Amino acid sequence: MIKNINYWYLSSFIVSLLVALPILTVFASFFGTTSEYYELLKNTFLLDYIFNSLIILIGVLTLTFIFGVLSAYFVSFYNFPGVNFFKWSLILSFAVPAYIYAYSLTAFFENFGSLFALLKWIFGEGDYNKFIPKFDGMIGAIVSMSFSLFGYVYVLTRASFYYQSHNLIEVSKNLGFSAKESFFKIILPSARPAIVAGLSLVAMECVADFGAVSFFNVSTLTTGIYNSWLSYDDLNTANQLSFILLLIIVCLFFTENFSRGGAKYHQPSRGFKRIPKINLNGKKSILPIIFCSSLFFFSFIFPTLQMAYWTIKFPKYFQDINLWALNLNTLFLVIIASVTLITFSFLINYGNRISKSKFLNYLSLFSISGYAMPGVILAVAFMSFFSWLSDFLTLSFGFLSIKGIFIGSILGLVLAYFIRFYSLAFNGIKSNYLKINQSIDESSYLLGYTKFRTFRKIHLPYLKNSVFLIGILIAIEIIKELPITLILRPFNFDTFATKAYAYASQDLLEAAALPSLFLIFWAGLLIFFTSKYILSEK
Amino acid sequence: MFNNFLEIQNTTFVASKLNKVLDFNLTIKNEGDIICLLGPSGIGKTTILRSIAGLQKIPKGFISLKGRTLSSEKEHAEPENRNIALSFQDNSLFPHYTILDNINFGAKRNRKAKYDFNVNELIKVLHLEGLEEKYPHQVSAGEAQRVSLARSLMSKPDLLLLDEPFSNIDQSLKVELQQNIKKILKEKKITTIIVTHDSYEAFYMADYCGILLSQTMKQYDTPYNIHHYPNSIEVVNFLNRGILVDAKVLDETSVEHKYLGVIKGNFVNKYKKGTSVKLLVQPEDLEHDDRSDLKLEVIDKKFRGTNFIYTLKTKNDDLIPVFVHSHHIHQHEVGEKFGVKTPIYIDHLVCF
Repeated sequence: MIKNINYWYLSSFIVSLLVALPILTVFASFFGTTSEYYELLKNTFLLDYIFNSLIILIGVLTLTFIFGVLSAYFVSFYNFPGVNFFKWSLILSFAVPAYIYAYSLTAFFENFGSLFALLKWIFGEGDYNKFIPKFDGMIGAIVSMSFSLFGYVYVLTRASFYYQSHNLIEVSKNLGFSAKESFFKIILPSARPAIVAGLSLVAMECVADFGAVSFFNVSTLTTGIYNSWLSYDDLNTANQLSFILLLIIVCLFFTENFSRGGAKYHQPSRGFKRIPKINLNGKKSILPIIFCSSLFFFSFIFPTLQMAYWTIKFPKYFQDINLWALNLNTLFLVIIASVTLITFSFLINYGNRISKSKFLNYLSLFSISGYAMPGVILAVAFMSFFSWLSDFLTLSFGFLSIKGIFIGSILGLVLAYFIRFYSLAFNGIKSNYLKINQSIDESSYLLGYTKFRTFRKIHLPYLKNSVFLIGILIAIEIIKELPITLILRPFNFDTFATKAYAYASQDLLEAAALPSLFLIFWAGLLIFFTSKYILSEK
Repeated sequence: MFNNFLEIQNTTFVASKLNKVLDFNLTIKNEGDIICLLGPSGIGKTTILRSIAGLQKIPKGFISLKGRTLSSEKEHAEPENRNIALSFQDNSLFPHYTILDNINFGAKRNRKAKYDFNVNELIKVLHLEGLEEKYPHQVSAGEAQRVSLARSLMSKPDLLLLDEPFSNIDQSLKVELQQNIKKILKEKKITTIIVTHDSYEAFYMADYCGILLSQTMKQYDTPYNIHHYPNSIEVVNFLNRGILVDAKVLDETSVEHKYLGVIKGNFVNKYKKGTSVKLLVQPEDLEHDDRSDLKLEVIDKKFRGTNFIYTLKTKNDDLIPVFVHSHHIHQHEVGEKFGVKTPIYIDHLVCF
């Protein structure tokens, strides 16, 4: 018995420690010696960095709020032509990461870009470049992120509309409210926690974004961190910048947790009934149709078409790019990472469940912090920790350098993914585990089933689907992941994301089209398969 | 061989920091007895069942079944090794198995059992026909409760523990189910402990009842004795069947109430002449008689179909319940005078 518990504690502790490594590293170096470069930054750019990050944040939050809440409202409460299609197609926007959106935006609007070609094809030669709006810099970053992130607000708000409001609508009608009053007095306030939660997720992704801001040359904290590592080889400064960014994220994280605090996991009560949607025909249906179809078009069709167009237009990159290697590399990373993640999440969730230890519960809460950690920070902190450890071991004990084992290796990359996505796997399994009442385990014991057989006969079959789903969600994240892969990958090891980034940062956007298109294709396919779950009313 | 089928000695049960049951003793001598534990909500009844089943450890005491120690301060047999079935109050069905699979889930457990069940018969007796292929979320709360009961029975336990087994079941079905289940339990000689807060249910089902009040077992006896010889004011108040009125002991067979007059009967406990006591008056103790000189005012009248329960007020404001058949000769309205036959005779004079 005692041995068992120690084993659970140990595995939980190791995982928590691993996931906490980047935070601890960042924290430690904040109080470390300040390098000159950091002094320079503090005097000149630091405020700019923070200012830029905040401006982008405000822009993105405003747009995603409008996109997400309105679209959720339309598809939840009204019937109009195409509503069932829009319901799921709007989440395809998750397949287009902000940096790829940024490439498409630039490719379309740049001088002599796709729009120019289009106008020329329609109206003949002309000096169109003057009239074509340029989406670059801050505006470009805001637009790219808004279209790629509004899905969070949409999914969460819709789920909340679906659930709570329909019961509440009956009550409010019963109390004599009109439809409009119901919406503003009952439905919207009741969805507020979900909207805030969605916006907080958007905010966290937004301040963590590296690809889009770096492409548009906007100096934010993330690019600052990346550049102080890459251009100045100054890990210490990078970590100190990270500390400031983490402070911002901690605030966002608490907002999110706070807003979700009251929403306990619970199963819907029996007799839950959906109220029929309001039918919209003719003129009245025009507004929702236009809104939803433009949102779908701009968030998914536009970047996909742009990338497809260039892929066809510049076929020579089919030879230059080793597509096999890209596909296999991605598959390889996805499989190793998701198997490791799911195994450990299961192990620790199960340990928490049967030991019922509060300490273990807190420890595992601590271990899910990786979720809020921007990829750039994680990668840089990961690297500085292992450089330090290696130097320490070499100096103190005469070890050979262990840098190569963790930095620029598959092992290191998978470890970093593990840190980043552990909370996704852990929480996914946990929330499903919470649905299995404790008394169900107890019933099984009482019917003579041992703990292991209970796990096999009750837990595994029950969680099978959600494990599969979590695997796919991890896969989507890894396919889209840019900064961690970029910084920690082995030499000459590329995924779609890094390949596209490499071309784009060399101003070879037409070459970036092919890997980008593949990335959208795979991510879109996986989202298509899981759309039922993503949109389920949870 | 063992002396007692189940023995629980000086055991403490901890439901929460504030809520404990202390020094609990319970002995079931014969296999096949049905015991009901009766008490208000939140007293720790469920905790007792959970501890007997092995889902919770006991900090102090001793529990043994068929001579085998299950729990003590040092020992703790795992629930899967006890062969005790517990049917939970809330839904604890396996959500991803059908109703039939749920019922059969523990069927293979006890091959040595002295009795056996036919699944189809059990399904019929518990009125679960037609639900076999459904999933738990498709059945009602009352049905889920019966499935859980069926599942427990199918595992052929040595000891069956039922936590409020009829709490979600309609009144009309409840009576029939109580009959059916009692019949099954008695036929197959399944020793059972039922926890409930419904004294009617307890009195019907049980061979013995235990009354749990303020952290201890106040009384443990047959239902008849508990009703007629409650051993403390707390038990009287909890059962809420009669009231206590002030009276004075006259001699060895009578007491006197200031306004009801002399009341005759046999004392359960001996008292000295002249002692002031509180006398238990239950609804069936007074008889209606319009010719009597003793008239009391009707304060309230409850119609229960086959009977009325009147509440009568004496001049010193004692409110006395009286039970009569619902017959037109017993009809009185609120505010009218109601004659009570004198002298009053009460079989067992229960005084405190």
